Amino acid sequence: MWHILIMAGILLCAIMAIRTKRLLVSAIWLAGCSALVALFLFLLGAPEIAVVELSVGAGLVTVLFVFAINIAGDEVLPSHPVISRPLAWAVIAVSALLVGWLLVPGVNVAVPGLPESQLSSTLWQARSLDMFLIGILIFAGALAMLGLLADGKKESVES
Amino acid sequence: MNISIPVVASLIILGLLGIGLYALLAVRNLIKIIIALQIMVKGVLVAFILAGRLQGDMATAQSMALVVIVADTIVAVVGLALAVQIRRHTGKLDTTALTTLRR
Amino acid sequence: MATTLLLLTIAIPWVGGLIVWLVGNKHASLQHRIAVAFALLAGGAGVALIPYSSSQIVVNLPLGSVFGDFTFVADGLGVFLTVVATVIGSLAVIFSVDYMHGEDQLGRYYAMVLFFIGAMSGLVLTSNMLLVFFFWEITALCSYALISFHNDDPKAVAGGIKALIITQIGGVGLLAGALLLFAVTGSMDFNALIANPALMPAKWLGIMAFGFLIAAAAKSAQFPFQTWLPDAMEAPTPISALIHAATMVNAGVYLMARFYPAFKDVPGWTTAVLLVGMITALMAAIMALVSNDLKRVLAYSTVSQLGYMFYAIGAGGIYASQFHLFSHSIFKALLFLGAGAVIHSVGTRDMRQMGGLGKQMPLVRAVFIIGGLALAGIPILNGFWSKEMVLEAGLAHAPIWTYIVMLVGAGITALYTFRCIWMVFYGQPQSEKHVHDAGPAMKVALIPLAFATLTSWLLAGSFGKLLGPETLPSHGIEISSLGEVIHEVLSLPTLIALIVIALGLAAWWWRGKLTGLSNALKGIGKAAADSFGFEAINRGIVKGTQSAAEALRATQTGLLNWNIFGIIAGLIIVLAVVIFGG
Repeated sequence: MWHILIMAGILLCAIMAIRTKRLLVSAIWLAGCSALVALFLFLLGAPEIAVVELSVGAGLVTVLFVFAINIAGDEVLPSHPVISRPLAWAVIAVSALLVGWLLVPGVNVAVPGLPESQLSSTLWQARSLDMFLIGILIFAGALAMLGLLADGKKESVES
Repeated sequence: MNISIPVVASLIILGLLGIGLYALLAVRNLIKIIIALQIMVKGVLVAFILAGRLQGDMATAQSMALVVIVADTIVAVVGLALAVQIRRHTGKLDTTALTTLRR
Repeated sequence: MATTLLLLTIAIPWVGGLIVWLVGNKHASLQHRIAVAFALLAGGAGVALIPYSSSQIVVNLPLGSVFGDFTFVADGLGVFLTVVATVIGSLAVIFSVDYMHGEDQLGRYYAMVLFFIGAMSGLVLTSNMLLVFFFWEITALCSYALISFHNDDPKAVAGGIKALIITQIGGVGLLAGALLLFAVTGSMDFNALIANPALMPAKWLGIMAFGFLIAAAAKSAQFPFQTWLPDAMEAPTPISALIHAATMVNAGVYLMARFYPAFKDVPGWTTAVLLVGMITALMAAIMALVSNDLKRVLAYSTVSQLGYMFYAIGAGGIYASQFHLFSHSIFKALLFLGAGAVIHSVGTRDMRQMGGLGKQMPLVRAVFIIGGLALAGIPILNGFWSKEMVLEAGLAHAPIWTYIVMLVGAGITALYTFRCIWMVFYGQPQSEKHVHDAGPAMKVALIPLAFATLTSWLLAGSFGKLLGPETLPSHGIEISSLGEVIHEVLSLPTLIALIVIALGLAAWWWRGKLTGLSNALKGIGKAAADSFGFEAINRGIVKGTQSAAEALRATQTGLLNWNIFGIIAGLIIVLAVVIFGG
C-alpha cells in the first residue's frame, strides 16, 4: 500500500516538474521527487544510497539549480514544441510499452531476503576502481565548472 | 490491490524514464531539459537497486548506484554552467537558437 | 632468397618514394636521380624473381585468426605482372626525367609513382584476399593522385575524381567477394578456392564471380564503366603510359585470369566476360576512330585491347589473354611514351594541329610506327602473335558471331592506328611549330621498348613455361615452346584476319574514294563522339545523387529535440526487433 502511494507521489512530482512554467517551481518539484525516490530506495533495502540520494538529489542539486536559475534568468518561453506533443506522447508510450513487455514479466518474482550489509568492504576493495573513477569525475567536474564560469566573468569584466 | 514490490518498482522506472524522455522531446528550455535528465537518472537508480535486490547482491548495486549519482551530479553541474554561458552568448535558453545549420 | 626478392619488389619502391619525398623539392635533380635508381633496383628485383617462381607460399606473416595469414606466393602470373610493373615502371620514371623537367612538386609525383609500383607488385604477388583489396585500393589512390597531379587544372581534378569514384564502385564488388570467401570458407587465402571451386556453395560462388567481374570491369575500364579512362588522360603522359596502359588497368584482367579456374563453371559467367570484352572492344575502337585528341585515341585503344583480353578469358584462352597483356603493355607503353614526346615538344594534344612531324622527329616517328604496327597486328611484331592467339581462342570456344565482331574490331583497330600515325607524322604541317626530337632520357626509355616490341614474342615458350602447371597448377596452361605458338598462329583464320587488317589499312589510304561510305556512317560517328550516351548517363547519376542529398538535408536540422526523437525512434526499432524478431 505504501509503495503504491510513493509511486503515485513520484510520478506526480515528475509530471509537475515538467509541466510548470516557472523554473524555480520546477526545481522544487524535482527536490520533492528526489526525496520520494530516496524513501523508496530505503524501502527497497538500500539505506546508504537512500541517504546519499537524499542529500545530493534533494539538497545539492536543488541548490545548484536555484543558483543557476538565478544567474540565467527565469523567463517563460513560447511553448510550441519542436516535436508536437501528441507525437511525443505516442512515441514515449510505444517505447515504454515495449520496454515494459521485456521488463515486467521477468521481474515479477519473490523478493529474496535482505543480506547482511557488506557495503563498505565491497566499496573499498572490490570496487576500488569505481571509487577512483568517482574522484576523477569530481575533479573534472570542478575544473569544468571553473573553466566555464570563469571565462564568463572575465568577459563580462572586460566588456 | 496486491501488486508486488518489484512491479511497483518497474512502474516507477518506466514512468520516470518516460516522463524524462517526453520532456527531452517536447521542451525547449535548456534548464528544463537538464531537470529532465535528472528525472531519468533517478529512474535508473531505482532500476539498479531493484536489480541488486533481486539478485541478492546489494553491495555491488549500491556501489554502482553511487557512481551514477556522482556522475549525474557532475553532468548537472557542467550542464548548468553551459546553460549559463549559452544564456550569456545567445541571450536566451532556447534549444532552437542553438542550431547553426543554415542553408 | 625468394622471400627477400619478393619483399624487395614491394619495399624498394616504397622506401624510394619516401626518400624522394623527404629529399624535398629544392633538390630536383637529386630527386630525379633517386627515383630512377630505386625504380631500376625494383625492376632488377622483379626480374631476379623469375627463376624462383613456384606455387609455394613464399612469405607467411601470421596475424591471428581475425585476418588470416598475410601470404605471398611467387607464382607465374604474379611474377610476370611484377616484372611488367617494375620494368615498365622504371622506363616510365626514366622518361619522366625529361618530361617533368622543370615542373614543381616533383616529390609528390615521384613518391606517388614509386608507391604505385610497389603496390602493383604487392597486388599480384599476394594470395590473401584482404591484401588484394588493400593493394587494389592503394593503386586507385595513387592513380587519383597522379591524374590530378596538376591540381590547379579543374579538368585534371575532375578526371581524377571520376576515375576514383568509378573504380571504387567496382571495388565494392571485390570487397563483397573477399568477405564472402572469408565468411564461407573461414580463410582469406584464395588458392584453396582456385584449386577446389566446390569449397563454396554455388549461390555464393556466383555472387562472388559476378562481384569480381564488376570490380575487374570497373578497374579495366570495360563496358559499362569505360568512361573514366579517356578523362584520365589529363595525367602527365608517363603516368598514362604506366598506370593507364601497362599496369593498373591490367589489374582487372589479372583478377579474371587468376580466378578463372574457380569461376569457369558458374553459369553465365564466361558468357558475361565474353560479352563485356566484345562490346567494349568494338565500342572503344569506334570511339578511337572519331577522336582528335592523340592521347584519347590511345586511351580508347587501350580500352579496346583490354576488351580483347577479357574476350580471350571468356573463351577460355588464359594463355592467349596473358600473352596479349604482355605484348600490349610493351607496345602501348611505347605508344604512350612516344605520344608524350610529341606532346611535350609540340605543346598540344590535338592531332588536327599536328601533321608532318615525321621529318623533324625521326626517332619518335620510327618507334611510334613500330608500336602502331604491333597494335594493328602486323606480322612479326609481338602484337600480331598475341592478337592472333586471342582470335584463335575465340574461334575455338566462343560463338562464331562474336568472333566475327572481334575480327571487324581488328580491322577498325588497324584503321584508327593508321589514321593516328598519318595525322601526326605525315601529311602537311597544320601549324607553324618548330619541334625538336625526343630528349636523351626519353630516347633511353623509348628504344628498349621498341626493341622489345619487335622481339618479345620470341619469349612465348618461356612465358608458357612460366605460367605452366609448375606454378599455376589449376589454370591448365599447356604451352611450353615457341614452336607451338607459331604452329597455332600460322593457319587459315590468321590469313583471314590479316586480310581484314589489310582492308582496314587500305580504307584509310583510299579514304578519298570512300567518302560515300563515311557519310553514310556519320550518324554512328556522332554517337561515338558523344561516347554512345555514357557521359550522359554519368551526368544523370551525378545529378540524381546530388538532388537526393539535397532532399535528405531536411532531416539534418541541428535541433536537439529532433535528434533525440531520432534516437528514440532507433530505440523503438531495436526493441521491436528484439521482441518480435526472435
